[in-house]
Amino acid sequence: MAQVKNRLTPFFENITFDREDNELILNFGPQHPSAHGQLRLMLHLQQEQIVKAHPDVGYLHRGMEKMAENMIYNEFMPTTDRMDYIASSSNNYGFALAVEKLIGLEVPRRAKVIRMMLLEINRLMSHLFWLATTALDIGAMTVFLFAFREREYLMDIIEGYCGARLTHAAIRIGGVPLDIQDNFIIQLKTFLDKLPANIKDYEDLLDTNRIWLMRMEEVGVISTEMALSWGCTGPMLRASGVAWDIRKEEPYELYDEVEFNVPFSDKGDNFARYRIYMQEMRETAKILYQTIEMYETCVANNETALMAHAPQYISAPKIDIMTQNYSLMQHFVLVTQGMRPPVGEVYVPTESPKGELGFFINSQGGPYPYRLKLRAPSFWHTGILTDLLPGHYIPDVVSIIGTTNIVFGEVDR
Amino acid sequence: MRAYTPKDDVQAKAYYTDRFYVAPQVPKQDVENDEVFAADLAAIKAKFEVSDAYIQVSNMVVYINAKDIYGVLELMRDELDYTQLSEMSAIDWLAKDNTFEIFYQMLSMKKRKRIRVKYFIENGQAVDSVEKLFRCADWSEREMFDMFGIEANNHPFMKRILMPYDWQGNPLLKTYPLEGDEFAAWYEVDKIFGKEARDIIGPEIRDTARVDRYDSERFARLGFEVPKGTEITDDMPRTEQKYQEDDGVFLIKKYDKESSVIVDDPQR
Amino acid sequence: MAQHKVNYTQDGGLPVALTSIDKIVNWGRSNSLWALTYGLACCGIEMMASGASRFDFDRYGTIFRASPRQADVMIVAGTLTKKHAEFIKRLYDQMTEPRWVISMGSCANTGGMFNTYATVQGCDRVIPVDLYLPGCAPRPETLQYGVMLLQQKIRANKAGNAQKSKRLM
Repeated sequence: MAQVKNRLTPFFENITFDREDNELILNFGPQHPSAHGQLRLMLHLQQEQIVKAHPDVGYLHRGMEKMAENMIYNEFMPTTDRMDYIASSSNNYGFALAVEKLIGLEVPRRAKVIRMMLLEINRLMSHLFWLATTALDIGAMTVFLFAFREREYLMDIIEGYCGARLTHAAIRIGGVPLDIQDNFIIQLKTFLDKLPANIKDYEDLLDTNRIWLMRMEEVGVISTEMALSWGCTGPMLRASGVAWDIRKEEPYELYDEVEFNVPFSDKGDNFARYRIYMQEMRETAKILYQTIEMYETCVANNETALMAHAPQYISAPKIDIMTQNYSLMQHFVLVTQGMRPPVGEVYVPTESPKGELGFFINSQGGPYPYRLKLRAPSFWHTGILTDLLPGHYIPDVVSIIGTTNIVFGEVDR
Repeated sequence: MRAYTPKDDVQAKAYYTDRFYVAPQVPKQDVENDEVFAADLAAIKAKFEVSDAYIQVSNMVVYINAKDIYGVLELMRDELDYTQLSEMSAIDWLAKDNTFEIFYQMLSMKKRKRIRVKYFIENGQAVDSVEKLFRCADWSEREMFDMFGIEANNHPFMKRILMPYDWQGNPLLKTYPLEGDEFAAWYEVDKIFGKEARDIIGPEIRDTARVDRYDSERFARLGFEVPKGTEITDDMPRTEQKYQEDDGVFLIKKYDKESSVIVDDPQR
Repeated sequence: MAQHKVNYTQDGGLPVALTSIDKIVNWGRSNSLWALTYGLACCGIEMMASGASRFDFDRYGTIFRASPRQADVMIVAGTLTKKHAEFIKRLYDQMTEPRWVISMGSCANTGGMFNTYATVQGCDRVIPVDLYLPGCAPRPETLQYGVMLLQQKIRANKAGNAQKSKRLM
């Protein structure tokens, strides 16, 4: 059958004929090579300088909040993976923590340590990815290849743990389902020993590079008031002068037992954010060394529980399910009908690599949440482009989008 | 006659309900237990009407009137140091009493406290925009409008944000099915090819358990593929995974399974 | 997936008699498949990983080009939403022939786990697809094997100037 013409007429968005001034409307379309996903920015340009920017999102809206109202809590866990798909375990963890706070569960210590390890490995993966794509956008392709090489080592470790490279679902409500495998710690230590040299590689390539400095310094300055007003969190906020890190201020898991510093800056430009990300990678390595020791202490103290003991909400360990009848029955009921948390509401923020990732769950006692709102940091980091971009030039758009670390799975959910 | 299913909440329901099950409540504490919250609540109560307040999972929840929201948030931002609006959205209670519950999640970094400000509105009522106080409400209220149909007064750009501009329907309402109504089902076909193409392209296949007889036949022979119509016997040879054609490609090195090396070391 | 008939024969094409010019042209086309960067969601990350240091894509002659006019193959990696469907059709139309489409991942094949109102249930409702890669997200090795299969398919077909229309519309 011959190709029938479709109804899509060409539209000339970037040429308007009825204006007298020299303003050009440029459509930074939903598909663009800057690898951040589906952002559509409509820029009003006055000879290369932006006078108005209008970000249009929603091209990856998959209806996750509505899915949650139709799925049981455990069933929704892999869907949270796809929110911030670069650091999947962070989203899993945020959701698990929210449900655990709703129920009032206490997670065993070994599971907490493993969760922290996974979270920090995900933080490293996310920051490496951020570095790779930002550098790629600005033109430093070598850093892209180097950072992806490190990321591959990390993904190997996680793949050995839970079987998936990118979308982990490794953290469940009540703990973790799997213990870390034998060579996890060895691989992790090998990686961490090489990490400072690698970070130094990147910094040597970029820190004093004239092109990098010209593209990054004094570009995309976010003042403290703008950052607070726009709901910026995470490195965006810390670059603008507010030293707020949820891991330190409202500690969850075992973050109050590990020592690490939180870098922050008061310049607020791209370069400040870049330096914060690099420094955070080093701090994450510190945390990981400490968690390895904590894990070995757990092993020495013979604390083997990996999931919380709450038979009404959490299934028993597999060995019990396979041998004890009541555990099997309870597991069957929990899988087919779902756990029923108490009636109430909870909002739990966690520090994901991108910022404050929050889960608001309103439960009415049923197996499906009544309302689940996912607070994604990148949503407002994309919104801030409306106020941030005017006054900059077109090349600055790319570097600003790069350093705001937007991932569209989160923005659109 | 099929049974009547009420359409005011078409989300998935638990198929087993226990009529004797009384759901426990997440514990609520009195505001007096925490001094910071008590002081904040007193400051709010001094100027605005508060219908209920309690602490739940270390967040204070305050119920106010819909018309006071701008004043309350202004008070909280300027005097009580709640400088960041983390989140705002709505909850659909249309099936229960035809209201929406709007919540605002506030954060104070100085005090390390979070407060949730909530109020109820009727179906069709609009809320006041707090975008002048917190710029993040700009996008949050657009999302609320998109998903629930709740408009915000004095908003600079009250248009859909996550759905396309010409979408009809508010997805997060309980009356909206998860898989979308008829408008949603044919949206992309209508937009790109026109209504005439609906028959040619066919409806969406939303059945997750659909079994296609021929697909299953082929799927069952995954690894042992044969051309269509071949007689199947038990000793079919396994499909060889070919990366290139058998007689090789000009100038491209031929992949030879025997001489290839399997790299095991992950630190390569 | 769409309900039109799909050809499942083994080598991706019926055996046709190829002249030597066909062979040369096909050899050229298959070994320099320039891919359009169409990373939409998580599969896009795996596509980038397959183009990065460990799983290099450059050895296939594949360079990721951003402009559809310069691209041969569009690798739809990620969820196609209804808001975006119009744009993928536009970009597909803007690609110059000969062009192929690889649908990578569950979301692009059939809508994936997102059985919701905003997801197109398979990008082949909108554009004709040559190769479907399963997985969520498919490993980079899967994508590379998929590209090799596509290369075999290209080499097995006649290299006429006008590609036979593959779509029911």
